[in-house]
Amino acid sequence: MKTLIAVATQSLLLLAMSAQAQDHSQHTDHGTVDHGAMDHSQHADHGPMDDHASMDHSGHHEGSHDHMGQDHADDDAPGVNSEWALITHTQEIDEALARGGEPVVADVLGVVCDFCALAMNKIFSKREEVAAVYVDLDTKALNLVLVPGAQLTDEVIADLAVQAGYRVAAIRRGAEALGTAT
Amino acid sequence: MISLWGQTASKWPLPTLLCAGFISVLAVYAQARPVSYTGGWTFIEESDRRSTSALYHYTLAPQWSIGLRAETDRDADFALISAHPFFLAKRWFGRDHQANLYLHGGVGIATGTNGNALGDEIAAYAGVMADWETRSLFASYRNRYLDAGHFGDGFMQAIRGGFAPYVGDTGDLHTWLMLEVDHRPEDEEAVTVTPLIRLFKGPLLFEAGYNLNVHQPLINFTYRF
Repeated sequence: MKTLIAVATQSLLLLAMSAQAQDHSQHTDHGTVDHGAMDHSQHADHGPMDDHASMDHSGHHEGSHDHMGQDHADDDAPGVNSEWALITHTQEIDEALARGGEPVVADVLGVVCDFCALAMNKIFSKREEVAAVYVDLDTKALNLVLVPGAQLTDEVIADLAVQAGYRVAAIRRGAEALGTAT
Repeated sequence: MISLWGQTASKWPLPTLLCAGFISVLAVYAQARPVSYTGGWTFIEESDRRSTSALYHYTLAPQWSIGLRAETDRDADFALISAHPFFLAKRWFGRDHQANLYLHGGVGIATGTNGNALGDEIAAYAGVMADWETRSLFASYRNRYLDAGHFGDGFMQAIRGGFAPYVGDTGDLHTWLMLEVDHRPEDEEAVTVTPLIRLFKGPLLFEAGYNLNVHQPLINFTYRF
């Protein structure tokens, strides 16, 4: 039993060291998104995509998705993505866009497996503001389409990502998420 | 006291255990993630050269999960039912990788099996797990010290490395080829090697391997609800 107590003590020491080393990324009241580093200058369109139904979706294909030529350059710095992921088109995403929902793309750090995708799908699909959700491992992005007229702030998205166990690096909305921003 | 590995616990003095723990920290590695999304349930079955276990856990918060674990030790002939909490002490995020450090432990009741007449005994265990993973490379380390009273005590540690021969996208069947080396210092075969294959699709993870030294199968299964 002495050895077990020793291991437990060691664990507590590690815990304390870890707590000291923790950054504030998992403080839910602050959110994990590095908001100060985020570029909001291009958040040109936060409103519902009222005209989306008139857009040309002929290039979309059911049951699959199109990464629209994403560059997967290694970049761990939050908010510093030289080549941003655009929304991934799935049938569910396209149908929600066609109904006029706002597209949101969040770059997520640490997304490496289907368990990561599953966690975020579970967390975000419970929200009534979310009409469609898809986590793309290739672009390392969380793709959302909001219910028309619904609001989901960057801070709430970052906090929900924390609940799923991950960290948001940057968020794009509207035309910027679609890649149609000028 | 008879150890689970046939010798006394005094062979594992405090400095050795501390070193093992710190090595585990330095090894920055892992296993199928024992902390899920908040509100998520996970079922994990593991069967290796010595024991078979089933764990059903619930994630209370992004850093905590608590589970009920049932385990049978085929060599020492006892079963253990325990509460098994996990603490995610640290997660390192990268655009292309993730690494985790977990602390875990548990307390429960051990009962003799297969004619083992020893009475019930309180048992406790503690350990460290770590992992590092990209979409094509994987490394992990875990250890545990178990004290099961008159059923014995013992230490184990295992390190694992692997790679994915192809990179699958969301929802695809992901395949990993891995090699695990485990160390149970007081076993007759202290160090053994197990090559295994991991198949991973959506909420389901399945692993099958074969221990080359003691000729025992490894079968692991995880389902995340």
